[in-house]
Amino acid sequence: MQIQSNRFGTIEVRDDAVLTFPAGLIGLPGERWVLVAQEPTSPFYWLHSAEHAEVAIPVTRPWLFFNGYEVRVSDDEAKSLGLKGPEDAEIFCVVRATERLEDFTINLAGPIVLNVEQRLGRQIINETGGYSVRQPLFAEVELNDVPSEATHTTVPAAVA
Amino acid sequence: MLVITRKPGERIRVGNDVTVTVLEVSGSSVRIGIEAPADLPIYRHEVWLAVEAENQAAAGSQVSELPSPDPTSGSKKGTP
Repeated sequence: MQIQSNRFGTIEVRDDAVLTFPAGLIGLPGERWVLVAQEPTSPFYWLHSAEHAEVAIPVTRPWLFFNGYEVRVSDDEAKSLGLKGPEDAEIFCVVRATERLEDFTINLAGPIVLNVEQRLGRQIINETGGYSVRQPLFAEVELNDVPSEATHTTVPAAVA
Repeated sequence: MLVITRKPGERIRVGNDVTVTVLEVSGSSVRIGIEAPADLPIYRHEVWLAVEAENQAAAGSQVSELPSPDPTSGSKKGTP
């Protein structure tokens, strides 16, 4: 299928790459989203709405930057995603991207949990408390220290 | 908008699936219990607002390209 993007024009997307968020993403429209890779070596993806051409948010996998990061998913949320165990899940966090790298922040308090097999997603409130919604991203790891082979995800991603 | 008075132990039913119970009143704090379907998101309002603000700020990013590590650079600084 194709999705329309204000950012990238028309993007060709495999049908099985479409992620469904039955509860949506907090404060953003639409239920169907697609991961879009702009550059294969980048640790960042765009989580792009499949329904709203103007809506896309930068995301990354938090462990690339915060080795000791913990996510606790409540039983109810795990159930709603059809997750049987941690091995079924992939976690992304929303990134606030700016012109200057040192101003990038990441939301570690509201991670996005995906059931890779079922292509289901949900933004949760991390039950492991104490994390910031606006944590400076490069607090522990510099961009050039993120190994490029670690940036690949098991979630199918479209290419911009 | 509905405003009603409840005592500890009393409940409020919202629709077919949601029950809110006033568990305890202590000073200016009220402990409440919420029974709702697993797929219905429930958040503390201020947390919801904070996450909403971050999502909307992320969606409003004017950055045209997300940064990548520079393999030719051994330094500690990347460029956006």
